[in-house]
Amino acid sequence: MRGRTVAVVCAAIPALALTFGVALANRLEPRVLGLPFVLAWIVLWVLLTPAFMLVAYRSERA
Amino acid sequence: MNPGIALGIIAAVVVGTIALGLFGVRGVRMDPHEYIVGGRRIGALLLWLLLAGEIYTTFTFLGAAGWAYGRGAPSYYILCYGTVAFILSYFFAPPLHRLARERGFLTGPDFFADRYGSRVLATIVALLGFVMLVPYATLQLTGVQILLRVAGYGAIDPLAAVGIAFALIAVFTYASGLRGAAWASVAKDGLVLIGVIFAGIVLPIHFFGSPAGAFDAVLRDHPGWLTIAGPSAPSGITWVISTTILTGFGFFMWPQSMAAIYSARDEDTLRRNAVFLPFYQLMLLLVFFAGFTALEIVPGLKGTEADQSFLLVVQKTYPSWVLGIVAAAGVLAGLVPASVQLLAAASIVAKNVFGDNGVASDGGAQTRLTRILVLVVALLAFGFWALAKTTLVGLLLIAYNGITQLFPGVMLGLRAQRPPALAVGAGIVAGILVLIAFAVIGTGQIAGINTGLIALAVNVVVLALVTALAPRRAAQPETANA
Repeated sequence: MRGRTVAVVCAAIPALALTFGVALANRLEPRVLGLPFVLAWIVLWVLLTPAFMLVAYRSERA
Repeated sequence: MNPGIALGIIAAVVVGTIALGLFGVRGVRMDPHEYIVGGRRIGALLLWLLLAGEIYTTFTFLGAAGWAYGRGAPSYYILCYGTVAFILSYFFAPPLHRLARERGFLTGPDFFADRYGSRVLATIVALLGFVMLVPYATLQLTGVQILLRVAGYGAIDPLAAVGIAFALIAVFTYASGLRGAAWASVAKDGLVLIGVIFAGIVLPIHFFGSPAGAFDAVLRDHPGWLTIAGPSAPSGITWVISTTILTGFGFFMWPQSMAAIYSARDEDTLRRNAVFLPFYQLMLLLVFFAGFTALEIVPGLKGTEADQSFLLVVQKTYPSWVLGIVAAAGVLAGLVPASVQLLAAASIVAKNVFGDNGVASDGGAQTRLTRILVLVVALLAFGFWALAKTTLVGLLLIAYNGITQLFPGVMLGLRAQRPPALAVGAGIVAGILVLIAFAVIGTGQIAGINTGLIALAVNVVVLALVTALAPRRAAQPETANA
């Protein structure tokens, strides 16, 4: 069951970042590549999600 | 400005895509199994396109830009909810697929019929899915109408044009079933990618020098537009978070999404798809760029007009053939998902309302009935479209509030220990009643919370209460209701 625990944690991190995390990141500055900070935060986490989910996937394969 | 060129390109693209879909199903014999879930042999690439079909609908293409234009930062939720849905699907899609294969589910409501041993519950779920798919298909029609009006430079009758386009797609769905729609998605996603890159990169560079250049101009003219308002404000941060959660839960509850999960070749295909699908979401960022660019270049559009935002920029700035290609991408983004939605709405009524209750229950009659119902749903959506007047995102949120009420039943139904059918049904009915009450009052949020999430909470509470009060039964063994 250890693989499943790792998978759940890996999934929970981006899921929380893209829901409640948005409240903490809801600022204009600092701008990132011209984007408002909150939008940059969301884009960053959308990009990171496959990485976290890949770790989840691998941990269940092992 | 030549409406003939733009509309000619759209017509050629639509006809070409339909031909591709029909080519994809040549020589395939249509039984309900093949027609509704593609024979359960759909591999990674086609499945990716089917699952992602949700993202590249006309809603994304026009609605997300329209919201960036008309509302600003609350539109960011659109980037979040699909990603949250893919994360969740990693955990529930594989067991759902396994159950579907082992026990032969074809439709979303089949799951409820089998797991809760209740045809009545399945009928309720089927009717709910059907009712909620009508505004969803209507959304696609509204988008297509906007595209044809802008591409025709106002020279054509949009009602007739939408009628023709929708009749074509209904006939296509009638002929090809799910596999044909998956093939049509190939053409759609390719062209939409081109359209979105043009609208989200070429347009802002043309006017502001860089893709994100519109942000400075927007900040100058609309301070506060690019950050989300406070917790208690209408469409503030509480609304954004509650709506992300609601729509993230609801994403795969659509009958067509459940059928897409059933249609996968195996469970691992679904897991790998869940891992990589979030990359698809990034296209939405470009759509936001397009919407914010439009806010600066064609300001002053009100209400439903905002959905035309960046198309008007293309119309004003570029020759007819460019407008034609961009609009053709949008038209496909409406018609292809509409075909999947028509098929889903028709199949759940044919199977779970008629077939399982003893009407037209053999294979040949089922396929015939599903095909006829495809045409009926198309007419209904067309009628609803002619009457309803709301923005694309508005329509989407209405439909999502309803369909998300299935989420508790699907999650609990995956378990060995399941609540009684009565509890699940009571929860769904309670949730829908709460939604109707909010609709009558005319409010979409309370203290910033999306009312759909409140309805979902009531649903869960009722489900738990009825489960606790219902007469105790032994846990249903897996083979109880084959």
